Amino acid sequence: MPELTQSALSSKSGFGRLALLVFFLGPAVVIYAAFSVYPLIATMALASFTTDQAGAYHFAGIDNFILLLTDKDWRGPFWNALGNNVLFFIIHMLVQNPIGIAIAGLLSLPALKFRATYRTLIFMPTMLSVVIIGFAWNLILSPLWGVSEGFLKFFGLGSLFQPWLGLEGSALITIGLISVWQFVGIPLMLIYAALLNIPEELVDAARIDGLSHLRIFFHVKLPLIMPTIGLVSILTFVGNFNAFDLVYAIKGALAGPNFSTDLLGTFFYRTFFGNQLQLGSPTMGATVATAMFLIILMGVCVYLFLVQRRLERHSF
Amino acid sequence: MARLNLDQVSKSFGTAEILKAVSLSIEDGEFVVLVGPSGCGKSTLLRLIAGLDPMTSGTLQIGDRVVNDLAPAERKIAMVFQSYALYPHRNVRDNMTFGLKFSGMKKDEIDRRVAEATRMLQLGELLERKPRDLSGGQRQRVAIGRAIVREPDVFLFDEPLSNLDAALRVSTRVEIARLHAMLRATMIYVTHDQTEAMTLADRIVVMNKGRIEQVGAPLDLYFTPANLFVAGFIGSPGMNLFSAHLTQAAETLTATTGFGYALPVKGATLASAASVTIGIRPEHVLFGETPYQAFSARVDLVERLGEISYLYCATVNGTPLIAEWRGRHTPSVGDTVKLSADPGTIHMFGADGTRVPDAVR
Amino acid sequence: MSRRFGPAAVHVILIAYSLIALMPILLVVMNSFKARKAIFGAPLALPSSETFSLIGYSKVLGNSNVGMFFFNSVSVTLISMASVLLFGAMAAWALAEYRFKGSTLLALFLSIGIMVPIRLGSISILHTMVSLDLINTRLALILVYTAQGLPMAIFILSEFISQIPKDLRDAARCDGVPEIAIFFQVIAPLLRPAIATVAVFTVVPIWNDLWFPLLLAPGKETQTITLGIQQFIGQYVTDWNSVLAALSVAILPVIAIYLIFSRQLIGGLTAGAVK
Repeated sequence: MPELTQSALSSKSGFGRLALLVFFLGPAVVIYAAFSVYPLIATMALASFTTDQAGAYHFAGIDNFILLLTDKDWRGPFWNALGNNVLFFIIHMLVQNPIGIAIAGLLSLPALKFRATYRTLIFMPTMLSVVIIGFAWNLILSPLWGVSEGFLKFFGLGSLFQPWLGLEGSALITIGLISVWQFVGIPLMLIYAALLNIPEELVDAARIDGLSHLRIFFHVKLPLIMPTIGLVSILTFVGNFNAFDLVYAIKGALAGPNFSTDLLGTFFYRTFFGNQLQLGSPTMGATVATAMFLIILMGVCVYLFLVQRRLERHSF
Repeated sequence: MARLNLDQVSKSFGTAEILKAVSLSIEDGEFVVLVGPSGCGKSTLLRLIAGLDPMTSGTLQIGDRVVNDLAPAERKIAMVFQSYALYPHRNVRDNMTFGLKFSGMKKDEIDRRVAEATRMLQLGELLERKPRDLSGGQRQRVAIGRAIVREPDVFLFDEPLSNLDAALRVSTRVEIARLHAMLRATMIYVTHDQTEAMTLADRIVVMNKGRIEQVGAPLDLYFTPANLFVAGFIGSPGMNLFSAHLTQAAETLTATTGFGYALPVKGATLASAASVTIGIRPEHVLFGETPYQAFSARVDLVERLGEISYLYCATVNGTPLIAEWRGRHTPSVGDTVKLSADPGTIHMFGADGTRVPDAVR
Repeated sequence: MSRRFGPAAVHVILIAYSLIALMPILLVVMNSFKARKAIFGAPLALPSSETFSLIGYSKVLGNSNVGMFFFNSVSVTLISMASVLLFGAMAAWALAEYRFKGSTLLALFLSIGIMVPIRLGSISILHTMVSLDLINTRLALILVYTAQGLPMAIFILSEFISQIPKDLRDAARCDGVPEIAIFFQVIAPLLRPAIATVAVFTVVPIWNDLWFPLLLAPGKETQTITLGIQQFIGQYVTDWNSVLAALSVAILPVIAIYLIFSRQLIGGLTAGAVK
């Protein structure tokens, strides 16, 4: 079957070549297009329709977006969720990623014992379901059980205990920290892998130049793993602006107290499915999803065109 | 039956022309070595012959067939790769039989061929091992075995010894030569190592920048390089090349270098005032009093290899050159030496870089 | 660093953080084996012969659905993983190996899904599944999870494939091995180390997902363990024995599998494929 040869593949087109491409690419492209790309596009299209009393769809242009941003019943919850989400992201950038970098730095120190054990243990929470983790923390922080209070008392700090998850002022930060606790493994592993890729000779050369481990980390290793830190940041951004499970597991769809833990994900869920307070609306749900898409897209574009271009990639 | 003919073969990747209208005929049973610096197109040419990459234009014939549009497996070729390219998850036997199974060959025929290759290459106790349990030399033997069982018309070798250490390289080289003598198959061998080229080849093809510079028997290339490129490429250390200027005085044409070395020359293509290049191999440099034209140089560095030493010298105007010294008592650094060469060993190249035959009297 | 505070300090920091990572999990699992009184009386103590109780487990496991939830999760996850790996590897191979018009564009198209979460298309996915009559079927989840996992899998597997020496497929072509056999018999076996990496990035999110089971398969028959436990806890909020046991039932198998494969999982992550 000469049509399957490399020469045929790289130059002349033929039925065999096409069949081969269809065979290899077909299943992936079809499933991905049908259940990922098409729904995204269809959702965005749906955002420009409204339904009337009879359930019929009418084209509405950008009316839904105007409604979302200006209507008194919509804009409050939307800006609230967006603001909470920004705070949620800031918590991750300020706590999760620095901890991840620091621990990756410690784990990559030469001649460290029990390295594999630490890695395994610290990565463990990342493997577990957000839902399960959410419930577990809910119990642990619950004043009913009193385990946290007891723990603080042990250090003489019992008076500091508050039902953090129940207070409007602290619930979101607490959920953010639980999420940090769970997902710190991802930046940790990516940065650890990047650190391992730095050739040992380079570190040896720096040591012969008389640099301490701390200086080597900040002046030699850190600049070299900047691209990975950039990648970690954008992954964190996408993950955060898409988060839903943790809030839903701890606080339910209403994201209490008083919507103080509402993120775009839970807001989207409520808008689409409805809840005790309002009826669900597919078109407004699609509008919220599209808004989320645009926010994520903006973040990705900032990363691709502003951040990534300035970060030099080094190959060894 | 397995003559191989390349006619005006070209290859481009985008706008980059890798091979420029290469034509070459290879006889049945001949061992041809393609040499040249990296990027000269020798590996590309081998891949075109194998059918791994398509030609941009030209015709390739193996035996009586034009094989331009045939798959590699249909060309009756076998290839041995630099990285050995053994299937890592299959043992030695499966590595040799894997391809044959797809050709619908009978089991006893496959067994016969494997047994034969095993005997030829002494792979006996390795048959059940995986590639990762073999040494570099053993892997290369398995790779050659995989080629042999195909009983191809043409064997293609792509720098097969580059990943081996020096000692293994020599013994495997001898093995390949022995194999060629035994199989009498056509072999095309790519290398950048001129020792391999000189020792293995019936004919060497020297390539540069996508073109063939010269095709010839190893010693022809050494003694009569067709141009400056071949002169500089074949031989190690490379030929000393001095640019010179021609002057006519009465009947005599003289080539004079910048440091005053003057040689009487002849040649129909040479004319007064032209620029030429004089070439003298390090091993042809003579020391002290000789009947020939001489010049002086200062020794800057002595590299002692044992039987011979290389003197790195500079002439009066600073032109560097290398001279080979035989024996123990070499001149010292800083000494001035008197150098000359037998006109019969001196090469001359015209302004366009091509050889001017018998120019130096 | 080691000279400044000494290696001991490094270990103190790492042990402290390991404890932070483990304590909550240990606390839940430990207390799930205790009687109600001991859960509240001495939450930080290990279960002793007096406090040991399996009452929570007997309630959770007595709930006949738990086995079914498990089966649902396992089958959905395994089939999704198999199709992500198979179709992802095939596509990655074709994109890496065959140059054709639009191949760059297609690669770009397939990589959108790495950055854009599939959840944003949920409304339309739900409509599609309703019209295909796939609501409350495991197939609906498998299709969505396959679509969700493919972009990252293709990305990771392409990196792996590009690390396989090109000579190998050239040798196979010279040997007369057909293209499809080159993929399945030469390349695919070499992708085994990539499985761990793909698993971390695709399988773990599938196993742990709550969103799509809630949306596409909330029926009793098709609930996954994550959704099942979530609903179980919703019913038994005040029954601490049951809640803790249910959480442990969801946690322990994952931890067991994680510990068995942790070397490969983390090795896969740090193998350099993801930089």
